[in-house]
Amino acid sequence: MSSTVLQLDRISKTFQLGGGRELTAVDRVSFEVEENAICVLLGPSGCGKSTVLRMIAGLETPTGGEITLGRHPVTGPGRDRGMVFQAYTSFDWLTVRRNVEFGMKINGVPAGERRERAEHFIRLVGLSKFLDAYPSQLSGGMRQRVAIARTLANGPELLLMDEPFGALDAETRWQMQELMADVAEQAKTGMVIVTHDIEEAIFLADKIVFLSAHPGRVKEEIVPAFKAGGRIRPKEELVQTPGYAELERKIMRLMREEGQHE
Amino acid sequence: MRPSHARKSRFLEVRRSIPRRQAILSAIGIWIVFFGIWLIATEGGWVNELLVPSPLKVFQTTWNLFVDRGFIGDIGISVGRVVIAFAMAAALSVPLGVMMGSFPAIEAIFAPFVSAWRYLPAPSFIPILLMWFGTGEAPKLALLFLGVVFFLITLVMDHTKNVRMELIETALTLGANRSVTVMHVILPAVLPDIVTAMRQMLAVTWTYLVIAEIVASTTGIGAMMMRARRFLKTDEILSGIIVIGALGLLFDLLFKAAHRWLFPYLKESRG
Repeated sequence: MSSTVLQLDRISKTFQLGGGRELTAVDRVSFEVEENAICVLLGPSGCGKSTVLRMIAGLETPTGGEITLGRHPVTGPGRDRGMVFQAYTSFDWLTVRRNVEFGMKINGVPAGERRERAEHFIRLVGLSKFLDAYPSQLSGGMRQRVAIARTLANGPELLLMDEPFGALDAETRWQMQELMADVAEQAKTGMVIVTHDIEEAIFLADKIVFLSAHPGRVKEEIVPAFKAGGRIRPKEELVQTPGYAELERKIMRLMREEGQHE
Repeated sequence: MRPSHARKSRFLEVRRSIPRRQAILSAIGIWIVFFGIWLIATEGGWVNELLVPSPLKVFQTTWNLFVDRGFIGDIGISVGRVVIAFAMAAALSVPLGVMMGSFPAIEAIFAPFVSAWRYLPAPSFIPILLMWFGTGEAPKLALLFLGVVFFLITLVMDHTKNVRMELIETALTLGANRSVTVMHVILPAVLPDIVTAMRQMLAVTWTYLVIAEIVASTTGIGAMMMRARRFLKTDEILSGIIVIGALGLLFDLLFKAAHRWLFPYLKESRG
C-alpha cells in the first residue's frame, strides 16, 4: 500500500490586477501524490500548472486552500521540496561536483558524506566524466542533469520539475525522460512534473492530473492503467503497447476541447 | 549559387570578426596617423610651436621628467590618491549595492537618496570640501570618493537585480536562508559584473583626480601640469596628459587581467 506524501486541498490562486480587477489562475485544485510516484501536471497553456507547482514549492502563496507535505502544511520554500526549472540554474562559478554538493553544504552535511553522495548522484545522471568541469563547458542537457543531481543529492521528499526538458532538442529530451524514469526507481523520490508534452506525460506518469484553462481546474485525473504500474522502456516500446494510442488520443481530445474555449 | 569558396573577402563585412593580425595593425595604424599629422603640423610650421610642441619634443620632455625631475614621485602620489579613494568608494558601494539589489526594502531606503546625489556634479563640492578639509589629502580623496561612489552603488545594484530569479529560487528550494542566498548565490553570480563596473568607474576616478589636482594641489600629475602652464611649458602639459592616458590604460588592462584570473569559468562559455 502506498501512502500519500503530498496533498493539495482546494488550492486557489487569484492575482490582483490593476483597477480592482482580479484574475483567478488556479481554482480549487485538489489532488494527491503518492510516495515514490511520478505525478504529471498536464494541460494547455494558461491552465496554471506552473503556478500550482510553484505553490507546492512554496515560491508562491495560495490565496485559498491548503497544501500538506507529510503532516505539515507548506508555508514557504524548503529543502524537502527540491525544484528543477526549465531555465538553466547551474551555478556557473562552481564545478559540477560543487554544484551538486551545494545543497548539502548549506545544510551542514559533513564533507565526506557530501562528496560520496555527490559522486553517487553525478554517476546516476551519467556525468562522472565531468566532475570537475564548469557548467559553461557543458551542453544544455548536461546542465539540466547537473540541476537534477544537485536537487536529488539534497535528499528532498519530493522533486518538482517545471517543464525541465522544454529547452532541449528532441533527442536529448528522450534521453532525459528515460533517465528520469531510471532515477525515479533508484532515488525513491516522489516527483511532480509540469509539462505540455503528451508523450512525455504518458511515458513518465503514474498519474496524470489534467488541468483545464482559465481558470485552472482539475478536469480529470488519469492513471495510465495500460502500463500496469510499471514504466515501459524504451519509448518505442511504450508507443506500441496496447492502450497507449487510446490514451494519447483521449488526452489530445481533452487538449483540443480546452483550446476551443479560448 | 556560387560556391562559397569563390566568395571574395571584403574589408567591410557586417558583424564578421576580423583576424587578430588585422586588429593589431589597425590599432597601431590609427596611432601612426594621429602622431603623423601632429608631426607634420609642427615640423611644417602650420602651428605655433609654443602652443603645440612637436611629438618628438613631448617624448623627450617626458623622458626628462622621469629621469631628472622626479616625475615618478608625482605619479606615485596621483596613483595613491586614485587607489585609496577608489578603494574607499568600492568598500561602501559593493556591500550596499548588493544589499539594495537583493532586498527591495533596502533599495526603497537608499535609492531615492543615491539617485539624487548622482545628479550633483562632484566638482561643485570643491569649495566646501576645501573649507571643511583644508588643503591636505582629505579634500582630494573626498572629491574622488564623491565623484564615483553614487554611480558605483547604482551600477552594483542594477547588476545585482539582474541576477536571474531562477538562481535565487533554486537556492531557496535547496534550503538556503536569506544570508546564504545573498552570500553564496547572488554575490558570486554578480561578482564578474561588479568587477567590470569597477573597471569602468576607475576611469571616472582619474577624471576627478585631475580636477582635484588642478584646482587645489601642489603635488601630483595635475599640479605638475598647472606649474608647467605658468612657465608656458606646453610640452610638459602634454607629457602629463600622455602619462595619465597611459596610466588609465594600464589600470584598465590590470582590471581585465584580474577579471580573467578571478573568473576562469566564464572563458569557455557556450552561451
